Amino acid sequence: MPRRSLERRPRTAVAVTVLLFAWLYLPILAVTLFSFNDKKSLSAFSGFSLRWYHDLAHDQALLESLVASLQIATLATLGSLVLGTMLALGLERVRSRRGRVIGAVTLLPLVTPEIVTGVAALLLFTGIGLKLSLTTVVLAEITFSIAYVTVIVRGRLAGLSTEVEEAARDLGCTPWQALRLVTLPALVPALLGAGLLVFALVFDDFVLAFFTTGVDPQPLPVRVYSSIRFGVSPAINAIGTLMLLVSALLIVAALVLLRLFGRGTSSLELITGGERR
Amino acid sequence: MVALGPAPAPRRSAQRTWLWGALLAVPTAWMVAFFVISMVIVVLLPFGRTTNDGFPVFSTSLDNYRALWNDVYLELFVRSVLYALATVVLSALIAYPTAYAIALHGGRYKNALIAAVVVPFFASYLIRMYAWKALLSDDGLVNSGLRGSGLGDGIAFLNTPWAVIGGLVYGFVVFMILPIYASLERLDVSLVEAGKDLYHGPVRTFFSVTLPATRYGLYGGALLVFLPALGDFVSAQLLGGAGTYMMGNLVQQQFNEGQNWPLGSAMTVGMMAALTALMVAYLRATSTQARET
Repeated sequence: MPRRSLERRPRTAVAVTVLLFAWLYLPILAVTLFSFNDKKSLSAFSGFSLRWYHDLAHDQALLESLVASLQIATLATLGSLVLGTMLALGLERVRSRRGRVIGAVTLLPLVTPEIVTGVAALLLFTGIGLKLSLTTVVLAEITFSIAYVTVIVRGRLAGLSTEVEEAARDLGCTPWQALRLVTLPALVPALLGAGLLVFALVFDDFVLAFFTTGVDPQPLPVRVYSSIRFGVSPAINAIGTLMLLVSALLIVAALVLLRLFGRGTSSLELITGGERR
Repeated sequence: MVALGPAPAPRRSAQRTWLWGALLAVPTAWMVAFFVISMVIVVLLPFGRTTNDGFPVFSTSLDNYRALWNDVYLELFVRSVLYALATVVLSALIAYPTAYAIALHGGRYKNALIAAVVVPFFASYLIRMYAWKALLSDDGLVNSGLRGSGLGDGIAFLNTPWAVIGGLVYGFVVFMILPIYASLERLDVSLVEAGKDLYHGPVRTFFSVTLPATRYGLYGGALLVFLPALGDFVSAQLLGGAGTYMMGNLVQQQFNEGQNWPLGSAMTVGMMAALTALMVAYLRATSTQARET
C-alpha cells in the first residue's frame, strides 16, 4: 500500500534513532572490547589477550557466585513457571469479580519499584525468622517473576480456542486430563519463551538479590556491584562480557522460539504485551 | 475461600470451576504470603522502633513517620522527583522520534529494529550502568578522545546530576519507546493524510493530529519510566556521589549501613505514597480524557 504523504523521511527522527542505537550499543561494545585488552587501560587497546578471563577462571569466590546465580535463576524460573501458569489458567477461566481483583493484585509487582519489593521481602523474611540465604533470594525472585509468566501465558491462552478442550471432555476426559493432554501442550512455546525471559531477568537481577541475600555465597550481580563501587577495572569488563553473553543468548533464543511457535502473534507483542493485529 | 463460580448449574461446569478455583488458589496464597503481607509489614514497621541491641520491634510510635518531615529528607525527596521528571522528559524526547522513525518508516525492518532496541534492555542493568560509567570516567574513552583531539583536559562527567539522570534515561528509555511505538503502530494513516490536507505542512499536522492521537502511549511511557526512576539507587550510587543521592540511596543506607529499619520503612512508605498519588492522578486524568473523546 503506497503511503504517499508519509514518504518523506523525517530526518530529525532518523538522526535521533541512529544516535540512540549508538548510545545503547557503544558502551556495551566498549566493555566487551576492553575485556580482551592486554593492558589495564580502558581507553587504549594495545593488544589482544585473555588474561582477564584467565584471572576470572581462578577466582574461587567469583565462580561460587556464578554458580549461585545460575541456581537461583533455575529454581526461580521453575517455581514462577508453575505458579504463573496456574494463575494464568485460573484467571482466564474463573471470570468473577474476585478473579479480577486477584489478577490486579498479582500485577502489582510489575509497577512497584524494585527497591520497595526488596525492602518488603527483607522485612518479611527477617520477621518470620528465615535466615537470609540463596533460598530467600529464590523466594523473592519467584514472587517477582510470577507476573511475567502470567502475562505471557494469558496472552497465549486468549488465542487458544476452548473447543478442543471441550471435545476432550465430551470424549470422557476428566477436567484435569483435558488440561494436561490438550491445553498444556499448546502452551509449551509460551512456557519456553516465558522461562527464558524469566531466567535472563533473574540471573541479572541486582536489587532484589541485594536486599534478600545472605553473606556467602553472594549472587553474581551483588558481588559485581560491590567491586564496581570501587572503580572500573578490566576484570569487571570480563565478568560483564560474560553476563552480557548469557542474557544475549537467552533473549535471542526466547525471541526465536516465540516467533517459531507464535503463529500470528509476534514474539515482540508477547514481550511488550501489545495487541494482536 | 476461592471463587466457587456463579451457580451449581450442570455438574460438569461445577467440576470445572472446582479445578480452576484450585489452580487459582495456590498462586493467590503465595502472592498473599510473600507480597501482600510483606507490604503490610513495610507500612506497619515505621510505628515500631529499634531496640538498644539493634533489633526492629513493632510498637505504636509515630516518631518514624514524623522524622520524615525534615529538611534533609525533603531535599532528597524533591531532588528525586526532579531527577525522575527530567528522566521522563528526556526519555520522551529521545523515544518519540525513535518510535516514530521505526513505526512509520521502518518498512520491512520494523520488527528487527524494535527488537534491536529491546534486546540491550534485557542485559544486566548493573553492567549497562557500569559500561556507561567506564565510558565517562576520567580515563575512559570519551575523555581520552577529548584529550587526544586537543579539546582540553577532559570533563568530569561523573558525580554530576546529569550523569545520574543520563544513567536513568539509559536504564529506562525502552519503557517509553514501547508504548509510543505501539500507539504509533495503531495510528490511522488516513487521519494523518486528512491532517495534511487540512493543516498544510508536516509540523502542524504532527502537533494537531499525530501527537494527540498517540498521547496515551506517551502517558503510559511517562508512568513506566517515572516509577522505576524515582526508586532507583544504582545510578546515583555508581555515577553520582553524596551530592546527587536520591530517595533510594537513603532507603538503602537505612537498611545496610544505618541499620534503622523502622525509619527505612517509613521512607519506603513515603516513596510509595508519592507514587500512588501520582498513579491515581494519572488514572483519573486518562479516564476523564477518554470519556471526553
